[in-house]
Amino acid sequence: MSRYGMFLVALLVKLGAPADSSLALNSLSAFPEDLEISDYCVDLLRVFGQRYVAYVNCLVSSARPVKVCHNCFSSYGSIVEIYANISSDQVGPGNVSCRDSLLRSDRLMLVYLLQSNLKGIWSESDCQNCVNKGLHSLTNDTLYFMTALNQSLSCFQKYQQANQSELCNECKNTYKSLNDLYSGMEKNNTLCIDIEDAMNVTRRLWSKNFNCSFPREETVPVIAVSSFMLFLPIIFYLSSFLHSEQKKRKLIHPKRAKSNTSLMNIQDKFS
Amino acid sequence: MANITKKVSWSSRHDEPGATGEGTPLLNGSEQPRYSRQLSGGGIFQIGRLSTVDLDEEVASDQDHLRSRPKEIPHNEKLLSLKFESLDYDNSENQLFLEEERRMSYIGFRCLEISRWVVCGLIGFLTGLIACFIDIVVEQLAGMKYQVVKQNIEKFTEVGGLSISLILWAVLNSAFVMVGSIIVACFEEGPMIHSGAVVAAGVSQGRSTSLKRDFKIFEYFRRDTEKRDFVSAGAAAGVSAAFGAPVGGVLFSLEEGASFWNQMLTWRIFFASMISTFTLNFFLSIYNDKPGDLSSPGLINFGRFESDSVEYNLYEIPLFIAMGAIGGLLGALFNVLNYWLTIFRIRYIHRPCLQVMEAMLVAAVTATVSFAMIYFSNDCQPLGPDHSEEYPLQLFCADGEYNSMATAFFNTPERSVRSLFHNQPGTYNPLTLGMFTLTYFFLACWTYGLAVSAGVFIPSLLIGAAWGRLFGILLASITSSGSIWADPGKYALIGAAAQLGGIVRMTLSLTVIMVEATGNVTYGLPIMLVLMTAKIVGDYFVEGLYDIHIKLQSVPFLHWEPPATSHWLTAREVMSSPVTCFNRIEKVGTIVDVLSYTSTNHNGFPVVMHHAASDEPAKLCGLILRSQLIVLLKHKVFVELARSRLTQRKLQLKDFRDAYPRFPPIQSIHVSQDERECMMDLTEFMNPTPYTVPQETSLPRVFKLFRALGLRHLVVVDDANRVVGLVTRKDLARYHLGKHGLEELQLAQT
Repeated sequence: MSRYGMFLVALLVKLGAPADSSLALNSLSAFPEDLEISDYCVDLLRVFGQRYVAYVNCLVSSARPVKVCHNCFSSYGSIVEIYANISSDQVGPGNVSCRDSLLRSDRLMLVYLLQSNLKGIWSESDCQNCVNKGLHSLTNDTLYFMTALNQSLSCFQKYQQANQSELCNECKNTYKSLNDLYSGMEKNNTLCIDIEDAMNVTRRLWSKNFNCSFPREETVPVIAVSSFMLFLPIIFYLSSFLHSEQKKRKLIHPKRAKSNTSLMNIQDKFS
Repeated sequence: MANITKKVSWSSRHDEPGATGEGTPLLNGSEQPRYSRQLSGGGIFQIGRLSTVDLDEEVASDQDHLRSRPKEIPHNEKLLSLKFESLDYDNSENQLFLEEERRMSYIGFRCLEISRWVVCGLIGFLTGLIACFIDIVVEQLAGMKYQVVKQNIEKFTEVGGLSISLILWAVLNSAFVMVGSIIVACFEEGPMIHSGAVVAAGVSQGRSTSLKRDFKIFEYFRRDTEKRDFVSAGAAAGVSAAFGAPVGGVLFSLEEGASFWNQMLTWRIFFASMISTFTLNFFLSIYNDKPGDLSSPGLINFGRFESDSVEYNLYEIPLFIAMGAIGGLLGALFNVLNYWLTIFRIRYIHRPCLQVMEAMLVAAVTATVSFAMIYFSNDCQPLGPDHSEEYPLQLFCADGEYNSMATAFFNTPERSVRSLFHNQPGTYNPLTLGMFTLTYFFLACWTYGLAVSAGVFIPSLLIGAAWGRLFGILLASITSSGSIWADPGKYALIGAAAQLGGIVRMTLSLTVIMVEATGNVTYGLPIMLVLMTAKIVGDYFVEGLYDIHIKLQSVPFLHWEPPATSHWLTAREVMSSPVTCFNRIEKVGTIVDVLSYTSTNHNGFPVVMHHAASDEPAKLCGLILRSQLIVLLKHKVFVELARSRLTQRKLQLKDFRDAYPRFPPIQSIHVSQDERECMMDLTEFMNPTPYTVPQETSLPRVFKLFRALGLRHLVVVDDANRVVGLVTRKDLARYHLGKHGLEELQLAQT
């Protein structure tokens, strides 16, 4: 809407027009055509709203543990599609372009803001690493990781009742291969937030809950070697103190003239 | 003091105490000059006369007996060494110089000015290149070492045997240090400022004596006067390359380096500094594959302090001043410990092999202490997503977490300083930081003064940044939650400045260097206040570290001002007397003998009118230097040979400059017996108008004249212009204001 339109709305509000937006909008429809939004665009806007709500619902329900990439990628695909429609240059039926009327007509640019937000969330979670280009399915790497993760988790479950050290021993190999896989993916930069979080949780389980990380067992040899190393300089300094001859400086007395007053030490002059 | 007329002293032999009573004349024809105590108003000893030993009138007091044996004392800080020679900034305006000036055209002088600029630019460029090279090499070597150690530790964490890692780390450290230490103990090297000065001294002469190549350029600059200006430029370029602080470099040169200053020199030095930092920036950006990026102006990069987080409030200034006081106290402690350690080292660890061994032991112990601390530390931090640590070491932490003590020790100090300044609050555990500060303080104190080219700037910055950050964390925990004014990074910066100021006690140049290195003028006021406080508090206890080491090396250093309460001392008490003089037309044999006399290494000889046979002092007519005499002897400029040398070209100033700066020693000049009987005419070559002072001139006046003009010899004359004595640097540097008033330092053979 142009500035003219905004001014009109404000005027109406000031004049004590009812706050009912639909009433205001309806009265606006009595005005000339260039202030009106075409039905096609209104339709597009409605579909956008529905898909947006669906996507946000999916996101929130997958918030903890984080599974936004796995669960919601299809919703994201549909919303990308509808936004592409809205923002395309092609003229729809009725010879109208919805881009200007929906996206750029006011200062707020609400639709644009909402879409940017969604895009930001998508890129922050690095979901493009886990989902194929057409946003139709997960990548092979992701699926492979998920199977490895399931293996580890099932191993943990199997030995959960048993002795702790037994769990550590039995599941060490699967956990190690999972870790290596994760490091490899980290190097290749094919990680998304789902995988990171899952790995984080697994690691916490392994190290903190099951206490399987390396214990500190070699205290005594380390202390022994350190003490030996610390002793060496003491021995060195003592031996040089006792055996080296102390470097003495030979004083030189240069020739000086006898001063007019008798030659006294400087100190004596003050005493 | 007893009156002794003539006494023979054979102090040329070090092991023999001054034997008296040996009057045998030496080899035929040569006479050893003997020195006598001067009677009040008595005569100078004449050269060329055989004098008998006359001990009848000797009345030896106890004091004298002691004086006759050269006393030996353990090294202390109240000595001056004889091995340091002054540079001579006084121009010898002999006839050759006047001729050269007549011949040089106006264009010649302009070219000279332009070539000074070219030399300064060259100095800046070479210093920047050297800094770049050092940076790259250090990065690679340190990276290699940490990589190897980290892999080793990780391997042994699983299978056990971590003590082997410890030994490996210690051995690697020692190996690296051994190489560096051998270079220092057996040759002479130094860190960046020193490198800059060395480059300057070499480049400005246009030749390399060690490589025996003479490029035949810049011959006019082969003088002490020109060299000192270029060396100042070199020092400034060194600081500028090290810190990315060109203005700081200029001020450092002004405050600490040069004793002579003029406006043109400031401009040229600034030019050299700018070229230096720009060269470093440019080549480092090429090395990092980002040509033209120009984002690393110095070797030590403190990182950008963003404008919004650099705010400090007015009520923080008292806190900063308190930190300055703490820095002063800690700095004084550091200096005192280092002083005692250095005295021990000078007295007992003076052979090169012992020095190398000590350096290796220190390196091994540093590795051991670091390893032990990492081993026993329980502090685990999760690794940030930005992967800021280069060598994260997991050790005994959970997966996905890393040992934060290891990151403190596994970084080069510059990196650690930067992360202390810029990391988010909460990155560092207070206990870890405290332990790190403590160990690093003592390790740094132990390391400084070793025969390794290591400085004290970065270690003290690191210590200060660590306890500053600790202070900030403490403040944030004391005050109520939600107050983000106590940003620990800001306090780390202030702590670093306080600690550095407390140790080195530099004021103006250090402030500007830190402001430029942080890239933000906002911090100028707090840093200045902190440095002033640190200096005041620290000076109350002990001097700055550099001053302490200068004193311990027995350098005859002249301060800016003469000692305060010394007006009652006159030139007569300060000067050396009697003086070895030459006649205007002197016999070659005499000259050779005087120059060969090893016990007194005189470098300047007053030239007197032909004196009568008595012991009367003679009228001064000029001053000639040892270097000039040696060149004359080498070219055999004798009176008798002058006629036969008419076809040969006359001696020019160029011949004197060719031999600069390392003149051949007198032993390498061969003079035959016949030539010894020839005569040499010194009139053309001596300085006809040396500076003189009357006998009654007070010490401060002599001092000011000597220092302001940069003299090497100052002749003391009586009212009839007769040579009475000679003042040199060692005579003036003896006097200084100690804790109990005016003190006199003693000269010693070192």
